[in-house]
Amino acid sequence: MDADECLIFDKGNGLVQRNFIPKLDVKSKRIDEILPKNLIRDELRIPDVSEVEIVRHYVKLSKINYGVDSGIYPLGSCTMKYNPKINEVVARMTSFSQLHPLQDENEGALEILNEISKMLCEITGMDGFTLQPAAGAHGELVGLLIIKKFFETKGIVKNKIIVPDSAHGTNPASAKMAGFSMIELQSNEHGEVPLDHLEYAMKQGDVAGIMLTNPNTLGVFDRQIKDITRIVHEHGGLCYYDGANLNPMLGICRPKDMGFDIVHLNLHKTFSTPHGGGGPGSGPVGVTNELIPFLPIPCIVSTDKGIICNYENHDSIGRIKAFWGNFGIVLRAFVYILSLGADGLKRVGQIAVLNANYLKTLLKKNYALPYDRICQHEFVLSDKYLPNDINTEDIAKRILDYGFYAPTIYFPLIVNGALMIEPTETESKNSLDKFVEVMYQIYNEALNEPEKLKNAPSNTPIGRLDAVIAARNPILHD
Amino acid sequence: MDFISHDEKTIAEMLKIINVPDVDDLFQDIPKDLIIKTLNISEGMSEPDVLDKMKEYGNKNKIYSHSFLGAGCYYHYIPSLVDFVISRSEFYTSYTPYQAEASQGYLQAIYEYQSVISRLTEMEVANASMYDGSTSLAEAAIMASIISGKNQVILLEGVHPDYIDVVKTYCWGQNIELIITSEDKLNDVLNEDIAAVMFQSPNFFGDITDVLVMSNKVKEKYPNCLLIQCMTDPTCLGLLKPPGKTNVDIFVAEGQSFGISPSFGGPGLGIFTAKKKFLRKIPGRLVGKTKEINGDREGFLLTLQAREQHIRREKASSNICTNQALCSLSALIYLVSLGRTGLREIANQNFQKAHYVKKAIASIPGYKILNKKPTYNEFIVRCPNINGLIRECKKMNLLPPLQISTYYPDMSDVVLVCVTELNSRSSIEKFIKAARLAINYEEERAD
Repeated sequence: MDADECLIFDKGNGLVQRNFIPKLDVKSKRIDEILPKNLIRDELRIPDVSEVEIVRHYVKLSKINYGVDSGIYPLGSCTMKYNPKINEVVARMTSFSQLHPLQDENEGALEILNEISKMLCEITGMDGFTLQPAAGAHGELVGLLIIKKFFETKGIVKNKIIVPDSAHGTNPASAKMAGFSMIELQSNEHGEVPLDHLEYAMKQGDVAGIMLTNPNTLGVFDRQIKDITRIVHEHGGLCYYDGANLNPMLGICRPKDMGFDIVHLNLHKTFSTPHGGGGPGSGPVGVTNELIPFLPIPCIVSTDKGIICNYENHDSIGRIKAFWGNFGIVLRAFVYILSLGADGLKRVGQIAVLNANYLKTLLKKNYALPYDRICQHEFVLSDKYLPNDINTEDIAKRILDYGFYAPTIYFPLIVNGALMIEPTETESKNSLDKFVEVMYQIYNEALNEPEKLKNAPSNTPIGRLDAVIAARNPILHD
Repeated sequence: MDFISHDEKTIAEMLKIINVPDVDDLFQDIPKDLIIKTLNISEGMSEPDVLDKMKEYGNKNKIYSHSFLGAGCYYHYIPSLVDFVISRSEFYTSYTPYQAEASQGYLQAIYEYQSVISRLTEMEVANASMYDGSTSLAEAAIMASIISGKNQVILLEGVHPDYIDVVKTYCWGQNIELIITSEDKLNDVLNEDIAAVMFQSPNFFGDITDVLVMSNKVKEKYPNCLLIQCMTDPTCLGLLKPPGKTNVDIFVAEGQSFGISPSFGGPGLGIFTAKKKFLRKIPGRLVGKTKEINGDREGFLLTLQAREQHIRREKASSNICTNQALCSLSALIYLVSLGRTGLREIANQNFQKAHYVKKAIASIPGYKILNKKPTYNEFIVRCPNINGLIRECKKMNLLPPLQISTYYPDMSDVVLVCVTELNSRSSIEKFIKAARLAINYEEERAD
């Protein structure tokens, strides 16, 4: 590491003027008079660094980091769309940022929660929403707990969940956290759920339902979706919609109409709130009328007397997060929906799909496309026919050299050497064309100068890192 | 406004390359009867119109000049540079740093976050963050159950009531039996089959536990029983003995106090730390330091991913994927901005000001402090006229303290008062005056 890229802990110089603390203006006592000595800490190994040095340090770090504002961010299933700046302005308004979750006189906030719940109901077709879950996987857990509670209340034992092999990795992990064991269903040659296998699995009797992503992680819309949900319902199961891939469906079609009972959304994907380097997110969960009693508390309820919060709900799964969920994120999503309106949302769905198909059509000239059909928001290439033993990781690292971020790699697991690409609707044609150009160039290098890919990245602040050493001897802090 | 750059001509060109006549043809796989005509949502709005509308909503929220309310969400000063740094769009518009070479800036920042949390708590391992304090505590219970192979955990009264409810929900999901008891009765319920004892200190009512005494007591008889501490306002660590020095196995906290605005209770930050021997059972992401494969330069990457859901699927230790990265960045900038000196001073001021108020309130006839143990910046008071106090506070533009009955209906005349460094002398004097006037108000009513 360069000397000037050292850690913040190496910068302390001891004598620093503190500007962040008001003057102590009440009579103070010696701390050991108000606190027993054995409760008081000794040393505190955090350096004193000046404001200028801190700002320069982190601005420097920001310059070796890539965001959507840097350029195309084609991570499949992550929906890295542009994050409108007005969202940030609103989230920082004092009337929202300084609002305490336990105060009254909060009608503005409650109205917003109520309004966006109604909008999400309209967008998905569902009948009720909770805005509590803090992320997509948190929403999955909530959805599965609702399924668990639904059957518990009926006195029926159903402890298995069907998850297709094209599902996001969080699905099986969430199922386990809700106490379910998992039946994995293999996709057929079209990347879709095989109805006969589904029917066979449902007949086992103890299956509570299915978790499905549609369009799935291959970017494919399951044409038999109505049969899938029908079969599950016929055998007494519930259908869970993983909304991670909802973006292309906006204003086009709705999970409830497909036959789903529960849906979670990722506001940080579909509704433009920033990913923040991996959070904070928000994962609202919508349900049909039948399942509303099981939603977590508190619930927002619109009554004749205005909007009230319901803390008592006999069948509720209980509380799943302190306070109201990630309000600051919900607020940004609300601003986004207001900005776009019905027509804007539909255009998002349309152009997201247009962009993905455009990229797919141009890239399949050089790269293998295992499931070659009209895609929705994303598509999956494979490293299958690449020359000179070039693999997916080599491609991804070489993309970084050209100043772009790489697609999602080695996922979904059902495609060997997967390169999963989702451009989103906010990329211009110009931006897509530049990405295609780079991908062609990389293909030519794979043919003629493969060492350039094997040694990639060579144009980034650091070369390929050793993950094996990192895991064998973990160094997690200084 | 839709943030899309294509005009009709561009769309036509692209459709031609895809070789379909119309955008609608891209949705040919969707059964016709599922296609909707339009959404019943109003038309899109321009920026100024959206801002006007949001101001209207905002005006229906009351923001007070000073606050005496805490209870899990705190008003501390946020240095201006915190928001400046996290607003660098290279940070806030990036994703989880899967491609390490293009994400070194964020990875180093998270590594520094893990380091600063380790230093503050003196715990050996800190992860890259969880959703919030409540879910961190719930995941800690699950982690203890996985480590020990036992499915009973004890939770001591005094944990934030919302957190208790969240732990209940998670434990029900995992078929873990949750035993809630008081510290006094802990000995009666402890036995070989208990995976962990969970407690909060300073607790919901403000009481500070002598953690070392408690951990010794538990570990003496049951050395394998894990001790899990949680905390809702970790600014107290500027002065209090940290969990790493009191034999705590897993320490979790709500990190909102570290440079994150209240924002109606979220997003906050789940701080999650543990002893090193439990490293491979810890939930969430971890950033590690390593070297280049073909070089000597050091760099950072996501490590020990074999624990995580995207690799281990149903065998993962947690389902966490998205966490609170940007909030952990806020916490990092906050903690280094204050530095050792500032963190000690913040904690000192919270102590001093809260004790000043505590003493002043105690001296007003009719008020009684109910805490039996030392307290930090929160304490509970029995009031002669709680409604009068709430009303007088509001009149003076003070956000009133929490009425404990919100959570414990039978404690109808008790408030939880929170005083931080932001409570100026004048706001404190107003509060004391409000407490006095509240009594008079009652006398007037009695007449």
